[in-house]
Amino acid sequence: MVTPVEAAVESLRQISTEPPVWLVPKQELSQAVRAASKLLFASLKPHCTKSPFDELLIEGFDAEQIWQQIDLQSQPLLSSLRREVKKFEKHPEEISKLKVDVEGGKKKVLEEIETENVVVNDDDDEDDDIDMDEEDEDEEEEGEEKEKGREEESENEGEEKGGIEDKFLKIKELQEYLEEDEAREFGTNKKKRKAETKKHEEDTEDEEEEGDDEENEDDTDEAEEEEEDELGLFGGDDESDEDDLGNARYEDFFSRKKSKDSEDKAKYRDMLEEDSGSDDEHVDKKVKNQRKDGLSKHEKELDELRSKIEQMEKANLDPKVWTMRGEVTAAQRQKNSALEVDLDFEHNVRPAPVITEEVTASLEDLIKTRISEGLFDDVQKAPTLSSKAPREVKELDDNKSKKGLAEIYEEEFVQKTDPASAPLTFSDELKKEASMLFKKLCLKLDALSHFHFTPKPVVEDMSIQTNVPALAMEEIAPMAVSDAAMLAPEEVFSGKGDIKEEAEMTKADRKKRRANKKRKFKAKAAKRPRANTSVRNSDEGSKV
Amino acid sequence: MSAEAPTTMETETVASESKLESNSLPPKPKFEPLKAHEMSDGRVQFRKVSVPPHRYSPLKKYWMDIYTPIYEQMKIDIRMNLKARKVELKTRLDTPDISNLQKCADFVQAFMLGFDVADAIALLRLDELYVESFEIKDVKTLRGEHLSRAIGRLSGKGGKTKFAIENATKTRIVIADSKIHILGSFANIKIARDSLCSLILGSPAGKVYSKLRQVSARLAERF
Repeated sequence: MVTPVEAAVESLRQISTEPPVWLVPKQELSQAVRAASKLLFASLKPHCTKSPFDELLIEGFDAEQIWQQIDLQSQPLLSSLRREVKKFEKHPEEISKLKVDVEGGKKKVLEEIETENVVVNDDDDEDDDIDMDEEDEDEEEEGEEKEKGREEESENEGEEKGGIEDKFLKIKELQEYLEEDEAREFGTNKKKRKAETKKHEEDTEDEEEEGDDEENEDDTDEAEEEEEDELGLFGGDDESDEDDLGNARYEDFFSRKKSKDSEDKAKYRDMLEEDSGSDDEHVDKKVKNQRKDGLSKHEKELDELRSKIEQMEKANLDPKVWTMRGEVTAAQRQKNSALEVDLDFEHNVRPAPVITEEVTASLEDLIKTRISEGLFDDVQKAPTLSSKAPREVKELDDNKSKKGLAEIYEEEFVQKTDPASAPLTFSDELKKEASMLFKKLCLKLDALSHFHFTPKPVVEDMSIQTNVPALAMEEIAPMAVSDAAMLAPEEVFSGKGDIKEEAEMTKADRKKRRANKKRKFKAKAAKRPRANTSVRNSDEGSKV
Repeated sequence: MSAEAPTTMETETVASESKLESNSLPPKPKFEPLKAHEMSDGRVQFRKVSVPPHRYSPLKKYWMDIYTPIYEQMKIDIRMNLKARKVELKTRLDTPDISNLQKCADFVQAFMLGFDVADAIALLRLDELYVESFEIKDVKTLRGEHLSRAIGRLSGKGGKTKFAIENATKTRIVIADSKIHILGSFANIKIARDSLCSLILGSPAGKVYSKLRQVSARLAERF
């Protein structure tokens, strides 16, 4: 009959031929492992009275939770085991009783194994393996494997407690035999421990256990490694076991002056098992690493680790570094210590823009477009509202005033009393002049445009009439110019009386003319300084 | 005449007193205002204005312009005392107001100070015109070149600063060496005086102009 444990192990073995497979989580693998762990848990249940769980809850729980459940069961179990060990320490005679039983059980088991059919091969293998174990295998490894196998089986069993033992297989005998073997290998001290552990599992040992053992031992080193990996998965019990073994040291298992053969073989096994990539924290692995050197590599690593741990512990005890202390003022830290630390704080200021070629190019383009468009951001003056009429700015006249003071005050008085009759002020005259000019301009513009006929404004001024063709005055755009002149001949004539030409003149007229001239000249000369007159007279005399 | 007045008064009061017994108070007596002639006990009043030598020939030139308004309109006798080099004024019988004499005297005095007749005539026509005189040394003690420069500053180039002040403040200014005479109404004299003083103290003409502009604008706004 195939127990769930066997099935699980079988499936596991089939799947995982190499440790790398375990790196990737697989559904079927995890399920098989979970089932196996559940059975193991159940098998241990009868031993621990305090555990709250009746069975290992798997559905819907993740690995961490399953671990916790196992741990919860195993903790009180461990304490009870320790008590048992102490008891045995005090009373060593009981151990021998135990041992005998175990051995007996073992022998019985061996006999039964030989005769059985189901696990014949396995039994044979087991025998062979056992022999091998005795001779070649690494002692602890074997023992541990067996232990683990037993643990597995004990957990997995659970339901089939009653049907484990039969006439052929006595668990006690098996136990004793195994203990004996181990005692031979390791020495008497170990025997005790193993005996205790074995004792606990006595009741639950199984053909299947054996089978497992055998299977395990049948397998190649890789399979054994697998099992170790499996056990690594199952974990909880292993660790509990480890705590017991945690105090084991290299020297306990191996003394330097061992036989070379065993050492070599052990080395070989070690090497193979090193490749399995097992957890360094496991005590088993620790011990496997073995070198011929005085201080093993592993030991060196351990020393380093230890020193590191000590350092860290020391650091933890010391007061914290100021950077870790929270709010720190300048007084609480060393001078200039803030400079060495890379501080991170918020900058409220935008960082200065990095001037690259692209930036300058973009700026220049912008400037060029702006210039071409003429779109400058000039400040434009806001237009002021002129609420008041512009005040008359009286210009200071720095010429001598033509009016007398009396006249000025007179005008002022008149303006006060009777503004209407007041003579125009200077500004009014200017206004008048300006309005006159504007009217003239408008007239001219209208005439040019010929749109509206506006007659000339009647200005009663004394204006000078120029002697211009009449039509020029009357027609603005004269098409023809008449010969008729504006002024009459007598108006043009500037002179007095009868005018005679040179030819017409009589002698008397000429004389008269000359006499007039002389008279005039004399009158003029009298006013001028007399120095020049003599010169003039001589000139005049020569003329006639 | 003066003796008569009280007597007549007395008789009238006696008469009035007699009436009291019978009826109400008698009517108040009405007196004509005193003529210039009647004042000071009927004696004639004189004013004498001395003529400085530099005004002698202008006086001769403008004598008729001075004489005519005084004699015709003010009804004051005027004559020139050549020997004493004074102009003498005297009230006539028909001088209407005693203040006429004073006005004529002021008018002649103004002419003597250096004002034109046309400007001085304003004294005859308006009551509130006065002449103020002060010296440069009253404002600031200046000696030698500084004094000359100050005088130059006051007048300006071609007298334009002086004219500017005159036109702005409606006054007439005469700068005679280190003496300054201002003719005009009281407020205007004040403004002119301030401007002149600031010029004496050294402020540039432009500053004075700007101030004058403001002041004159303010003055003009009032009316």
